[in-house]
Parts: sequence; C-alpha cells; structure tokens
Amino acid sequence: MTFNPLEQRGIPLDRQLRNWRELDVAPIDPDHCDPYTRCRIITMNGIEVEAIMFSHMLARNTVDPEVKRQLARTRYIEAQQQKVVNWLLPGVSSVLETTIAYEQVAVDLTAWVARMEPDPYLKQAYQFGVLEDFDHLYRYANLYEMIEHRKAESVVDGLTEVMPGRPTKFHHRNPVDNVRDPYDKTRTDPLSKLHALTIMSTEQQTMNFYMNTGPTYMEPIARQLYQEIGLIEEEHVTHYESLVDPGETWWEQLVNHEYNECYLYHSFMEQESDPRIKAIWELHLNMELEHLHIACDLMRKHDGRDPESVLAPALPNVLTFEPNKAYLRELLDTQIDLTTLGAGYVRDAHERFEKMQEGIHGGEAAPSERVMTQHDEMFGREYRIETEGEHPDPALRGK
Amino acid sequence: MTELQTPQAGDDAAPDTDVVALLMRQHGDIRNLFDEVEAAEGDARQEAFRRLVRLLAVHETAEEEVVHPFVRRNVTGGEQVVDDRLAEERSAKETLSALDDMDTNDPKFMAHLLALRADVQEHARAEERYEFTHLRRSADAAGLALLAKGVKAAEAMAPTRPHPGVESAAANMALGPVAALMDRTRDAVRRATGRD
Repeated sequence: MTFNPLEQRGIPLDRQLRNWRELDVAPIDPDHCDPYTRCRIITMNGIEVEAIMFSHMLARNTVDPEVKRQLARTRYIEAQQQKVVNWLLPGVSSVLETTIAYEQVAVDLTAWVARMEPDPYLKQAYQFGVLEDFDHLYRYANLYEMIEHRKAESVVDGLTEVMPGRPTKFHHRNPVDNVRDPYDKTRTDPLSKLHALTIMSTEQQTMNFYMNTGPTYMEPIARQLYQEIGLIEEEHVTHYESLVDPGETWWEQLVNHEYNECYLYHSFMEQESDPRIKAIWELHLNMELEHLHIACDLMRKHDGRDPESVLAPALPNVLTFEPNKAYLRELLDTQIDLTTLGAGYVRDAHERFEKMQEGIHGGEAAPSERVMTQHDEMFGREYRIETEGEHPDPALRGK
Repeated sequence: MTELQTPQAGDDAAPDTDVVALLMRQHGDIRNLFDEVEAAEGDARQEAFRRLVRLLAVHETAEEEVVHPFVRRNVTGGEQVVDDRLAEERSAKETLSALDDMDTNDPKFMAHLLALRADVQEHARAEERYEFTHLRRSADAAGLALLAKGVKAAEAMAPTRPHPGVESAAANMALGPVAALMDRTRDAVRRATGRD
C-alpha cells in the first residue's frame, strides 16, 4: 500500500494539545513486553528529541519573530509527543536494563538500514557502525549480569545475539577519521536521506543517555564503561551526521525531519504488536502529518521551492524491527578488523590510529576489557547469547 | 535457549563485602526466579515457586533485620524511608501468604503471581533508589561489610531445613510456612549478629 503523507491531512495543530490525564501514559511491562515494542519506543524518543533540538537550533538562527512563534507552536507539541513516547518506559527498569535495550535498537535498527540502503558508500558506513554497537551490547550484557544478576537475554529475548563484535577498545579513532563524505542531496535516493537522519538521531539519543545516566552508577567499572562507550557514541554521531548533505537548507532539513517522523510512525503503526502502543503511533502519525504540512509551507515561503522536489512520491517500505542474525554474522566474518582512514575504511592500524590508541589507553586496559576480566573473576566465564552456533570469527570464540 | 545459569548471590565469586551490591544481585535472583516460575509447568512450577517463596522470605527478613535498622539509626529522615519500605513489604507479604496456600496449577495462580511480581519489583527498585543510596553514603567500607555478613547469615537459611526450635508443628501450621520461615530467618540473623 502506498502512502503519500503530502496528500494526507492530519489533526489540526490547535487541536493537538494534550492535558495531564492524556500525557499520563501507563508504562510497558519490562518483563512481558515485546522487546521490539521497547525498541520502537526508544527509537521514537530519539527521533522526537532530535526534532525538538533541531527546531530549537533553527529558531536560534531565525530573525523573523512570526516564524519563531510558528516553530514554537509545533515544537511544544513535539515536546508533548516525546513525553508520551519516552514515558512508556517503566520506572522499575534500571538504567543498565534500558541500556541493553538501547544497544538492541542500535544493532537491529542499524543492521536493517544497512540491508536496505541503496547507496554503497552509505551502506558501508552502517555496516561499519553496527559491528561496534554489537560489541557494546556484549560488554553491557556482562556488566548487567555482574551488577544485577540478570541476563541480557531477559531483555533481548533471543531476537538479538550477544557476542563480541569489533572490540570496543579499537573504536577510539582520531576524531578526523570519524568524518565521512556526505551524500549528494540532488542525486541521492530519498530513502537514503531518511536512513541517515534516523540513525543519526538514535545514536545521538544514545550519546545523550549515556552522558547523563553514566554517573548515576556507583560501581567504578560501570562508571568507567559508560564513559568509554559514551565517547564512542560521540564518534558515531560525528560519523553519521557527516553523511548528511550540508547543502540542504534549514527549511529543507525541517521538511526532511517531519517527513521522517511520518515515515517512522507509519512504519511502527503497521508492525506494532501491542494495540495500546499502536494507537499511540497512529495518533502521533496524524499529528505529524500536520507538522509536515506546516514545514512544507515554511519551505515554500522561505526557500521559494516545492517540497515535492526533495521528497519521495510515496513513503518507502516500512522500516522494520526484526532479527538480523545471519546478516550480522556475515559482517562479523568479513568486516570485524576494519577501521577508518580519512573518509574511507582500511584494515591496517595506521599511524594516526595507533597514536590515538596510545594516547587514550595510556598503557592500561580499557574499561571495556576490564569489565570482562571482572566478570570472569566473578563467574568463571563470560556472558554470551549465541543462538545460531559459535562465533563466525575463530579468534573470538568462547573459551 | 542459553544454558548459562547465573548463580545466586553468595554463590558467585564476588567478595560480598558490600551489602548493597549483594542485595542488588539478590533482587536480580528474585526476578530470575519469577521468570522461572512463569515459564515452568506442573511439578516444575511448584518446585520453582517453593524456591521463590523461600528466597523472598529470606531476603525480606534480612532487609528488615539488617538494613532497615541501620537506615533508621544512621540516616537523617531514615524513619520515613524505612516506613515507606515496610508498607510495601507488608503488601507483598500479604499477597505472598495468599499465594503460598494456592496450588500452582490453580487457574487463578498466574494472575496472583503477576500481581506479586509487580509489587516486589517496584519495592526492590524503591529500595535501590531511596534506601540503598543512603546506606552507601552513611556506612563506611567496614560498615557495609558488617551488614553484608548479616545478610549472608540469613541467606544460609534458604534452602530451609526442619527447624528444631521452640515452635510446635501446630504453631508452624497456624503461622503458615512463609511466616514460619521468616521467623526462623530472623532468629538466625539475630544469632549471627549477637542480638538474640
């Protein structure tokens, strides 16, 4: 079924305000929910946070007070949407438990985007990144068992495997090597723009989450691991944001943001297993359609261009949360030893990489290594979920 | 799916010199046992539920005997913190006692179990956020280790053995198995900490 958001009208903006009762959503049950429902919640929170912050940045670069007021009206509703979405997460979950879910999002969302991405250079960027999120999941899973005696399996429920990816200690690259080349906005597939925006937004939210929640831990190894992986999330934001063509005007970017929100709410509405949550995705889609129309009007007025000229004629196939085990195993088998050099990828540990490694590790084991040592001391083993057999890389098989 | 078993707190190789870390792991153990009871059927469910009841009884008693008194004595506003936790515990204990008499194959069992699980989980997180933080702030390393010793003494009570003490079989029946186990655990903790 094709769905063209430009041809649909949603709820008028002046009827989108929700009262306290409507904002007070009941959270999901962390022990019985569909893990991918939680993934969709985490994803949409990242998307809404980006929408809000982008709108703030745009407003700070806007002179016309009438335009500022228009942006503020939509942004307030988006702030309400963020509250409803993120408040679906339950208070009984620990930070670490939610972290495991964030990494499940990073793994299965990025893997799906890599599979569907039509542009080979962009595809490579996602393939490269996903092997790092995959390793973060493994490290946090081991920390989780140490601190809470819980298995990551109780969060990811066998949908995502937990085993080593590209070792986290090697993710620390010279910052200049994190900057990619952008796509060309005039030639790229519209789907590629949506992919870049989606992954950039979710990685950014992961960065925000770790930078703020990491210090709430008292256990030294937890504090240190959040610091380490938090720094890598910054690298990932740099990596993904640089894929976006900086030649897109502010108004064009605003339209892309709103269009992407329509795309994702529509996708999640189509696949949601929990009827209560599905109704939220549907409601928010109907709100976003109006936000999109407002953004389109702003673009016509201030850019003098038709939004149709930069958007797809219909929404692409739904973005789907599903297991990507075989795909990830193939990447583990072929791309685990890659690093970046300039805007490309290489297999050798080049000089700039080595220098960065030397500087950040300071001759000591990284927190991501020490968490494994400490876990082994406590349990005499490590924690993995290998549902499809042993690790594809013989060097990374369990003892 | 995975055959990995997480050992229960005290059975892993952690030094257990920090009562908060120990109790947080025990919270995970309890949650794991809820998973096990839900997933099991027939006799296996009965057996897993027995273990869950024992662990809950021992854990709650240890907190009442070891952790709450410390917070009451040493933390400003500790009285209120502890009273809030005790109210939650009372509610969980009532559900637990009702469940304890129930056949795990009873069609109503699962609904009661899920209600208990929600109570227990909320209580556990409330402790971690509002009580344990005070504990770590107020107790030095030696204090945390001493409290851990008290909790470990309680732990030794599960799995339980027949109690040779003063309570008659009839009294045990009257109190119900959960209440009896809690009493026995309380005695053990008091003996270990020299308070009987």
